[in-house]
Amino acid sequence: MQRPYTVVLLIPTGIGAAIGGYAGDALPVARGMAQVCDTLITHPNVLNGAQLYWPLSNALYVEGYALDQFAAGIWGLTPVHQNRIGLLFDRAIEPELLGRHLQAADAARATLGLSLTDYVVTDAPLQVELRTAPSGASWGTIGNPDSLLRGAETLIQKANAEAIAVVARFPDDQDSEALQQYRQGQGVDPLAGAEAVISHLIVRQFQIPAAHAPALLPLPLDPQLSPRSAAEEIGYTFLPCVLAGLSRAPQWVNSSQQGLTPTQLWAPDVDAVVIPATACGSSAILSFSQTGAKIITVANNSTRMQVSSESLGIKAFAVNSYLEAIGVLVAHRSGIDPAALNPDLLSIAKVYN
Amino acid sequence: MTTHFITAEIDLQQSPQQLHRAIEAELQQRGEPLRWAVTQVDTEAQKAQIEAVVTVGENAPKPQD
Repeated sequence: MQRPYTVVLLIPTGIGAAIGGYAGDALPVARGMAQVCDTLITHPNVLNGAQLYWPLSNALYVEGYALDQFAAGIWGLTPVHQNRIGLLFDRAIEPELLGRHLQAADAARATLGLSLTDYVVTDAPLQVELRTAPSGASWGTIGNPDSLLRGAETLIQKANAEAIAVVARFPDDQDSEALQQYRQGQGVDPLAGAEAVISHLIVRQFQIPAAHAPALLPLPLDPQLSPRSAAEEIGYTFLPCVLAGLSRAPQWVNSSQQGLTPTQLWAPDVDAVVIPATACGSSAILSFSQTGAKIITVANNSTRMQVSSESLGIKAFAVNSYLEAIGVLVAHRSGIDPAALNPDLLSIAKVYN
Repeated sequence: MTTHFITAEIDLQQSPQQLHRAIEAELQQRGEPLRWAVTQVDTEAQKAQIEAVVTVGENAPKPQD
């Protein structure tokens, strides 16, 4: 009898990942990995393709702040059958754009059968501003984080929401160089860093699943639009993937609840973690490097980060592509040393004591 | 509460676990860490560059970048 094989797939948001840095374009990677493990833990940046998503019965949709807590062994996750999702809208969203989002929410109820509570509008505009860090990563500020948190609290306490979908009005900035590059499948997602700040604030405060969809005006048609960015230009909202992901996102337990339910997962249950080779400096990876999980780094998913596993003293298995990474996972799960699958196999040597 | 972007330079530590602790301790001095990453490592100087977003309470002093 073997224990369940659990894999974490991380592609941090807003760092210009060649795969996964655009419109849910790492979803094919997640679909492939989900076939070779019992449980795949990954995050909205990997699974969210605006109008497009793919239900994976063995994938757990975990927001980034919660993933950091999970990796550090502070929070455990417990799978659920369904969450009641509360929708939180930025007061800055114009009435017509709000109407589009409410219709997307009703469509998710009618067509997918998702459970949503009544919605809340924040008591002040959230005032999202976008920035770029010296590394090239995107980030952002929220002018009214307390308003965001008050709105989420109302959804939890008055509407009994079990997960929060936030829709904030983002600057349209249609002529910006960053947006033009993004639509060409190049550069860094200018919205992603600020989106992470919004969802992190809610998850840190309330320890429930949360994810964000930006509200933006539709862009003029671009005939050169990259396939990697195209999922975000086929509808009026980015909301359907968020609602689908949150509808079955795992809930969180702390150490006092450890073991109370049989399906909980904790950091030591993770067998392997797959990350871009240059993005080894996240909180989650520094934590996972201490748990015994096999760290697999993927070279051809380039990012704006410049942090290899070696530079931080993290022992990792390096591969070139996700295709190779999936092969390593299969070997690892099967108890096969990947070295035995190469033609050159060195003899074992004597260890001197 | 306000959100702030900050950068920091941390000495590399003997293990990733110790580096994690050192980063969190440095950021805690400047707010409540929300999101951070090592973005660059200078192995010769044994320094790690950190970029982070922290939150600061209403009456607390704003962190210096």
